Amino acid sequence: MTERVAIVGVAQTRFAPKRVDVNYGEMAYEAISQVLRDTGLTLPGDVDNAISCSHDIWDGQTISNIGITDVIGGHLRSEEKMALDGTTAVYYGMVGILSGEYNCTLIMAHTKMSQTNRNIVNNVAFDPIYTRMLGFDYTSAAALQARRYLYKYGLTREDTARVVVKNLANARHNPSAHQVGVVTIEDVLSSPAVATPIHRLDIAPDTDGAVAIIIASEERARQITDKPVWVLGIGSCYDAHYLGDRDLANTFALEKAAGRAYAMAGIKNPRRAVDLAEVGEEFSYQELLWMEGLGLCERGEAAKVVASGATAIGGKLPVNASGGLLSGVPINVAGLNRVAEAVLQLRGEAGERQVRGAKIAVAQGHSGFCGQHQCVVVLGN
Amino acid sequence: MATKEKEWISIPMTVDVPYRFAAGEYLTKTLTELRDNGRIYAVECPKCKRVQLPPRIVCAECHVKNERWVELALEGTLAGFTIMYLPLTDPTTGKPHEPPFVYGSVRLDGATSVMDHFVDVEPDREKVWVGMRCRVVLRPREERIGDLSDIRFFEPLPGQKKPQPSTH
Repeated sequence: MTERVAIVGVAQTRFAPKRVDVNYGEMAYEAISQVLRDTGLTLPGDVDNAISCSHDIWDGQTISNIGITDVIGGHLRSEEKMALDGTTAVYYGMVGILSGEYNCTLIMAHTKMSQTNRNIVNNVAFDPIYTRMLGFDYTSAAALQARRYLYKYGLTREDTARVVVKNLANARHNPSAHQVGVVTIEDVLSSPAVATPIHRLDIAPDTDGAVAIIIASEERARQITDKPVWVLGIGSCYDAHYLGDRDLANTFALEKAAGRAYAMAGIKNPRRAVDLAEVGEEFSYQELLWMEGLGLCERGEAAKVVASGATAIGGKLPVNASGGLLSGVPINVAGLNRVAEAVLQLRGEAGERQVRGAKIAVAQGHSGFCGQHQCVVVLGN
Repeated sequence: MATKEKEWISIPMTVDVPYRFAAGEYLTKTLTELRDNGRIYAVECPKCKRVQLPPRIVCAECHVKNERWVELALEGTLAGFTIMYLPLTDPTTGKPHEPPFVYGSVRLDGATSVMDHFVDVEPDREKVWVGMRCRVVLRPREERIGDLSDIRFFEPLPGQKKPQPSTH
């Protein structure tokens, strides 16, 4: 039985606002066929387990994986779906390998946000008896969280705008990204208000795409690649469902998930140990909040760290060198994309967005409004 | 030579699934009290004593059954808010809430949780702030139907001024 699990291959479709040219299966197959080519593995022979990650409500189909078991290699075999963010699919896949049941697992996440309406879909996440009828969605909930966070630490919209400026500039070097460009703080501030203090450019755009990765036991990984990336630690945690139960400026669930992942990785001081972070900023303020929850800086200090340039690609602790979710990554896929981007960095294959000498990376994903469920993956080369 | 653009077919479909959600013991108590008596009831955890709204069977922190009811004041303090420019849909009617409107989180006096609802205030940063005192405005008794719409909105208590200019 293996004690270590490695990621041996990653592949991503390009992310585009609207992929009318592919259905779910075809889109998934783009990423799956690419990761099989890159690793030289075949389905079904080399891969003994398959896990997908998607959501019924987003796909508009009950049990959203039942239509893609052919492309993922689940025909007349096992295939299971993780209906949380892609980081949690990595957690689930890893458990299967550590148990000794499997040796090599394909994990694929897909979502086409263009095919429905995010506000209506996200409204269904709220309690049907209580706040759902008020019309709440992730953006309005995030606005309450953003207001609370800015209020608590005396921050301004300029502080969150710097995240957008950095990430869209980074995204210019990412061939998968669809929202890229040179924007200024003023551009972000003057973009239309959507749910104050959140404006248009503070929001990750709707996008379509898929990510596939392959994980393997240590023995199998060494046969497949000479550049395995090890899952050094992983942890997940839930916070309360009702917004009204939480102080939205706090990140208890993320701190616990990160604490478990760091402990498993033997990391005592993440600020010293971590070389880069890929975090799930569905909204610009979340990059700051998640950095604090991940222990990458003191509480309330993330804005200063970003303003200092430390989180830029050449900085001391690059955050979202990929351009992050603001550059366009689908919901549910986001966490697997964080992991894939971290893997590319640790393999030295991140092209012009490469962070030099990266050895330890942290990838963070979340599900539910205002980051109710959190999953943290620590990776090393 | 001009090439004909390739055609892609997409099938439009609205998946309209009807539900009827049971409110259950705890929310039924709160919703009937709200409808019949215009009172808001929350539950108090017997162990950690936090007072939660909406009421629910178990305290998540202590994992003990909630059995004590607490009546909350119909006034409280605004803990957070957003001015909405999205025409979010009311799923009970399928009609949009006309923007701009204000969502607020109010901690009713006596509660640990905050309660989210509309705030009847001008969508103007000078007219709404964290810390503002608000009260619950109910529909008239004959219009109340036993759901969260029996509360029309929160409204600011009169005679308040925003404490100081805010930078965000």
